[in-house]
Amino acid sequence: MKTLDEIARLTAEDLERIGSDENIPVPEDLKVSLPKRNPEHAWRIAAAVALLIGIGVSGYLGYREPKDTFDDPYLAYAAVEKAMNKMAGTVQYGAAKVSETELALEKINYWK
Amino acid sequence: MKKLYIILALLTLSVTALAQSGRSLYNKYSDLPGMEAVYISPAMFRMMGKIPDVEFQDGNVNFSPIIKSMSGFYLLNATDPKVGAELYAEVKKFIDKGQYELLMEAKDNGEVARIYSMGDEKTVSSLVMLAQEGNETAFISIDGQMDREELENILAQAAAE
Repeated sequence: MKTLDEIARLTAEDLERIGSDENIPVPEDLKVSLPKRNPEHAWRIAAAVALLIGIGVSGYLGYREPKDTFDDPYLAYAAVEKAMNKMAGTVQYGAAKVSETELALEKINYWK
Repeated sequence: MKKLYIILALLTLSVTALAQSGRSLYNKYSDLPGMEAVYISPAMFRMMGKIPDVEFQDGNVNFSPIIKSMSGFYLLNATDPKVGAELYAEVKKFIDKGQYELLMEAKDNGEVARIYSMGDEKTVSSLVMLAQEGNETAFISIDGQMDREELENILAQAAAE
């Protein structure tokens, strides 16, 4: 029987040679049991991996830089100007409705 | 371990919240058939900033100073009613979740146009327009550091034209 010190001094080659030596009997009372896998842990790991993948994919899809529609800054300027005019159209419509309402209220007040 | 799950859940929530932006909507919808899409990058806005003051189109309103304070522009115009309805619902969700305030709303015979802004008293960091006219749905999102007073004056000026 080897002492712990002797075992500690063995090289990897020694251990391999001893392990493959079939003349060394395996003690009958030797029991080797690997720790049982906890299925819950596997699910947790899978969930964490899925989350990380989801974060990565959504981050990439949401934030990748789109391609510029225009190469020419003058055309880009014209597009923004057109959009601003569209917004102004909404403001104009709203203002016109306010004026109409004010006029209607004035008429009502006149007849009171 | 519980802490890790909480951190991951928070991370996911924050990414999902961040993902709701003009850019994410643009990336999702711009390639669909029947969609008119325009994107102008910060780099292009820097180039536009170097354009000498130009002769103005569409009347006399000078949009130049406000355009020069913009840094991103996304436009989506859906002609397919089904896609348009989906886009409308998603923009509404994005608006409701964000810190936007309604600047203007105009409704007429089922058509609706709304303008929202985000920022503080002095600066508008995001301007969004969502409009539904007939079968068309239009979404415009503008990012930047726009002077609120100047923006409102310019829009009012343009509206008076």
